[in-house]
Amino acid sequence: MSSSSSTFQMGQLVADKHVRYILMSEKKESFESVVMDHLRMNGAYWGLTTLDLLDKLGSVSVNEVVSWLMTCQHESGGFAGNTGHDPHVLYTLSAVQILALFDKLDILDVGKVSSYVAGLQNEDGSFSGDIWGEVDTRFSYIAICCLSILKCLDKINVEKAVDYIVSCKNLDGGFGCTPGAESHAGQIFCCVGALAITGSLHHVDKDLLGWWLCERQVKSGGLNGRPEKLPDVCYSWWVLSSLIMIDRVHWIDKAKLVKFILDCQDLENGGISDRPDDAVDIFHTYFGVAGLSLLEYPGVKAIDPAYALPVDVINRILLTK
Amino acid sequence: MRKGSCSEEVCFDLLNQLEHLLESDPLIDEVGFIHPSQFTLLDKESGSVTDGSSPSFWNQDHKLGISTDILIQLCKDAKHAFLSTFKEYKCLENASTCESPTKNISSSGVSSCSLESRVMKHSQALLLLSSDFGTAWNARKLILSKQDQPLEAFTEELRLSKPVLSNCPKSEPTWSHRRWIIKMISRSFPTPQLQEIITKESELVESIGERSKMNYRAWYHRCWLVSYMTTEQVLQELKKSKRWAGLHVADSSCFHYRRRLMLRVLETHNVEGSNAYDKTEAHKIWKEELDWNKELVERYLGREALWLHRRFLSLNWIMHFGRNHSSETGQRMVMNEEIVTFVDKEIHLLESCMTVPDTKFEDFQAQALHAAVYMLWLTKNVPELWRMLEEKLGTEKIKCILNTVAQERPTSLLHQLDIFAADLEH
Repeated sequence: MSSSSSTFQMGQLVADKHVRYILMSEKKESFESVVMDHLRMNGAYWGLTTLDLLDKLGSVSVNEVVSWLMTCQHESGGFAGNTGHDPHVLYTLSAVQILALFDKLDILDVGKVSSYVAGLQNEDGSFSGDIWGEVDTRFSYIAICCLSILKCLDKINVEKAVDYIVSCKNLDGGFGCTPGAESHAGQIFCCVGALAITGSLHHVDKDLLGWWLCERQVKSGGLNGRPEKLPDVCYSWWVLSSLIMIDRVHWIDKAKLVKFILDCQDLENGGISDRPDDAVDIFHTYFGVAGLSLLEYPGVKAIDPAYALPVDVINRILLTK
Repeated sequence: MRKGSCSEEVCFDLLNQLEHLLESDPLIDEVGFIHPSQFTLLDKESGSVTDGSSPSFWNQDHKLGISTDILIQLCKDAKHAFLSTFKEYKCLENASTCESPTKNISSSGVSSCSLESRVMKHSQALLLLSSDFGTAWNARKLILSKQDQPLEAFTEELRLSKPVLSNCPKSEPTWSHRRWIIKMISRSFPTPQLQEIITKESELVESIGERSKMNYRAWYHRCWLVSYMTTEQVLQELKKSKRWAGLHVADSSCFHYRRRLMLRVLETHNVEGSNAYDKTEAHKIWKEELDWNKELVERYLGREALWLHRRFLSLNWIMHFGRNHSSETGQRMVMNEEIVTFVDKEIHLLESCMTVPDTKFEDFQAQALHAAVYMLWLTKNVPELWRMLEEKLGTEKIKCILNTVAQERPTSLLHQLDIFAADLEH
């Protein structure tokens, strides 16, 4: 709290420029944009959620987005990253989240989507990402988050799903993608998020995990995702949301983190990068703004740390029958 | 999906060139995107003149360079060629239900076999350009899983995905594809062949780890391999990965790999419940790792990865080798003599690391911080250590340790420090 005085010397969030950057991002063609084509669904979720957090979702055409989105759905119920591609839970969650943002979940055949997701649960409680069987705690989170939004958690064995996630806990308090895999802030977010949604946070050693997470803050104020790595804006989301869910966010220096994120903005053309002076992209723009939202930065709507959607969107879904 | 009357063969001149190159040199093991100005430089280095090859590609000694000038067009062409061919292939597969012009093609002689080879050809080119294109990997899986394939079909697939990793070492779908292949091999082929593949795969991760530092995906892949290893392989891997780790002390992932192997050693020797004084293999291996880690900690000052490795080693040492036989049923852990000596040494290490000769030298400060946090972390996990710390160090020195932490991490560990501060009152 003593460091809050430094807030006054900080730069400001150039929200309007970020909005412009997001709205323009689909128009420029680069090699990066061509090789990102297969995960357009994720890109749409990052861009649209950022717009909503900045209260500018109204500047996109809902029908245009939704009609494209529905061309990505397969017979199985799962969504692909773009038209003509194979379905995967990674894109299915993004599709559901986008529809939630637009309050358009009613156009979904909920039974079909939820059956696709539930069908990917394995005997040991884990989840595969698609029919090809790669297992990862990221997919556990995605399945649980997705089914919770669709109010279909009863379609899976939640107890087994939780047990599997707990089996991925390491001695340092963190979590990896499968049992025995190295702790990683992104995987920790997934595991803690899934445990939060299923009301199972008592499985987390909060002090121990909080210790590991707060050691991710480096001298510049930014957060890294693993020991000895450089700080990166995207961990402002993954580390911070995890710390909030386990009620240990006061263990890091929030003011320094706000400054780090603001230093990663392109003040002229909008967009946020991984580190100061690097090239911006839509992924880091989303995680930067989402991080600022968790840090209660003025002018940014509140985001839910587990569902990764604006709080008002989540309330609208969870509070209605 | 095809535009106008233009067939893929005519339209995709660049793509044809690339696919021709890949076909004529199946041993290409490295691919890179390079600026065309680099081409002449590469020619000079290799001491050869490109024999009439186009300015778009460079190919020598099984290394393939693709000009950055043509990347966008080439990638778009490859994507189009792959997606339309794959669509045709899927239609042919479901010929009875699919109403598409490809039905005519199939009846006019395009066999499913040649379509298969076209899907394989286009997906290979596409994945070299866009390694995360999951649908292209899936298409290959679909074809490979169709009928009983010989082992060579799978080892060939491992070989083909290697150049993709040379250019995109962090590509998650590429690593995942390799795991899928290994799972397929493990289901259908005898163990000796699998063991050889696992060993080679482990070596591949090490060589990629050399060029791509702290690569989570690569090291995760190596950890994943451990479950397929025999006990003997685990021990060999511990020996083999030691030198690399000693040369890359900031790479926490390679130390995690060692942790994974060390835990397998514990499991195998079923240390739980056995006599702590047993000089088991596990005991010996654990001791060696602790000693080696201490050497590294003292040689390379202020390295977080080394201290984190020590947290793991010490805590497991205390938990698995430190219990007196009689204490297993009791609530409180009773330290055996070996552990008392061990903790004495750790306190000594802490004290020596806390001596900062020159306050302006950051490495020494980092070393002091890591040492102090290491001891607090151990104490949090094994509260019995607190009493030993108090006895050995005394209140003043403990306050000094707490101050070191408090200076560097103003708010972060406050909560933990509160516990200790409260403890100091009593």
